[in-house]
Amino acid sequence: MGIVEEVFTIELPVGESFRIQRCRYTSKNEEDSKRISIVSGIHGDELEGQYVCFLLGEWLRQNPEKIRGTIDIYPAINSLGIDSITRSIPFYDVDLNRIFPGSKNDFLPAQIADGVVNVMRGSDLAIDIHSSNVFLREIPQVRIAKSQEETLVPLANLLNIDFVWVHDAVTVLESTFAHAMNTIGTKTLVVEMGVGMRLGKAYGHQLLDGLLNLMAHEGILEIEPLKVRFPIQSHVGEVAYLNAAYPGLFVPAIEHCQMVSKGDVVGHIVSALSGEVMDEVIAPIGGMLFTLRAYPIVYEGSLLGRIFGKICGDSQ
Amino acid sequence: MRRFDIVTLESPNRAPLRIEGFLFGEENTKGPSIAIVGAMSGDHVNQLYVASGLVDYLRTKEEEGKIIGKILVIPAVNAYALNMGEKFWPLDKTDINMMFPGYHQGETTQRIAARLFDTLKGYDYGVILEGRRDQGMCLPYVKMIQSGYEDLECAKDLGMNFIHYRPHEPVETAMLQYNWQLWETKAFSIVFGKNGTIDQRDSEEVHTALVRFLSKRGMLKFSVFEGKQSNIIDPHKITLLKASRAGIFISKVRCGTHVEKGERLGKIIDALSGEKLEKIISPCEGIVTCQYSHPLIFQNSIAFRIASVEICCQIIN
Repeated sequence: MGIVEEVFTIELPVGESFRIQRCRYTSKNEEDSKRISIVSGIHGDELEGQYVCFLLGEWLRQNPEKIRGTIDIYPAINSLGIDSITRSIPFYDVDLNRIFPGSKNDFLPAQIADGVVNVMRGSDLAIDIHSSNVFLREIPQVRIAKSQEETLVPLANLLNIDFVWVHDAVTVLESTFAHAMNTIGTKTLVVEMGVGMRLGKAYGHQLLDGLLNLMAHEGILEIEPLKVRFPIQSHVGEVAYLNAAYPGLFVPAIEHCQMVSKGDVVGHIVSALSGEVMDEVIAPIGGMLFTLRAYPIVYEGSLLGRIFGKICGDSQ
Repeated sequence: MRRFDIVTLESPNRAPLRIEGFLFGEENTKGPSIAIVGAMSGDHVNQLYVASGLVDYLRTKEEEGKIIGKILVIPAVNAYALNMGEKFWPLDKTDINMMFPGYHQGETTQRIAARLFDTLKGYDYGVILEGRRDQGMCLPYVKMIQSGYEDLECAKDLGMNFIHYRPHEPVETAMLQYNWQLWETKAFSIVFGKNGTIDQRDSEEVHTALVRFLSKRGMLKFSVFEGKQSNIIDPHKITLLKASRAGIFISKVRCGTHVEKGERLGKIIDALSGEKLEKIISPCEGIVTCQYSHPLIFQNSIAFRIASVEICCQIIN
């Protein structure tokens, strides 16, 4: 049985406290010192991680004798947001994942970020589970800054995900939870999967297997490693972005996570007013449609999808 | 004056977004040029008010033949948000001022930022009228971040009391001020007011500072009184007074008040029982530069910021 603890609280103005809770599972053997933090709900509209936390907690309750370290589960960092369909920190309208590492001497969102970092400081590993936002549906993937590639890709490959996306470092991402934790020595992976405000059971079970496998490899669980899928690696191909050329209603022509050929119709942008088809959205490359728009209203520039395809001329 | 659309963007159902500019002076003047950007967020109504007031003022001055540089004023960048009580881009809630320098092939707000930035590039001076990102209100001040290309001297010509001068944070690399500086415009922000409201006194102070700057930097043929000798402040050294308890916050002072050590600045009372939870006492002598502006306060929120000469100021002679 895990121990539920309030690890961070701040009084709210009217008879309530903002709180971050965790459920901690520990080994009976005090020499087992490795620690992992499973984190979800930094964005209040992303719920896939809540289900993963449940599944992992359920497994740990059923298998306490397998635990060889400390496993901390934080299902709802932005607890105000999770319970109110609010992506940012309510009241302040600030994206918590753009305010790390935070500060005790700044406004409430920064104090929450500071509290989160301090609570998890000392963890060997952290898995930060995000859905996509409400606009996009994503396959299970881990995103890693190029500077962390060497350390984190081997861990990501254990997580039973479909895609490892190593991207160039962007300075603004230095304000994320993952960057803050990696900076202080906690190896932190960012998982993206599904779509905002919804649950995908299959993805939850897929990632649960990945977490168990990772913990088996790291010696935090005394179980045989699981047979997991090996993710596609971004360096073997390229990502093509599909952005809307016109405003309107986006109607997909194919399902998420399908293979497409160059020139295939991915969807249409239509006008609800005039009945016209404003644009036909064409795949610029062949490959896997790993991102697909879930929210149909689009402006010019709205992201409709992403295709991962092999680099042209690559003989691999 | 030439009024023109800098950016237009069609919407699925709304009337198109228009970012309008008001250009004064000769387009190809050899004199100095400045662009002044107003409300980038939907709650920056004070910034909108100052910018539109400046348009009206400059229209008169142009008729009098007193514009000698090139002056562009953009009162509202995010009219869509202003028109519906939103803070950010109404569909995806992204902040246009986190999208610079923009990307023409990117997402909607990246494209808006890119098109806007195409117009803003090349000006000698750039001023951003900014609101606060927290639940605070403050004395108007100049915010100048250190990008390596900043020009502290020019900001002193505003004659404002305080210039906050500090290194940039990672998130600020996606903001207009940082990118404008990188593109060799002498850019800075004027931060003022309380989001969602208009303060007449602050508005007048900022308007006067802008007119002074235009005059001193050779864009407006108009004599103005000297402003204040700016105090260069390291904002990290301002004394913070935090609320040790949450509840209803009652302030006894205004921003700009000179307070003595030991002076009572405000109190917090229990929102349900009415019990007095905390008296907030100034630990030092100084000026209240900022205070919490919402009547309900969170525990550990910053209730007051006090600038004192000994701690945070470097008087520039």
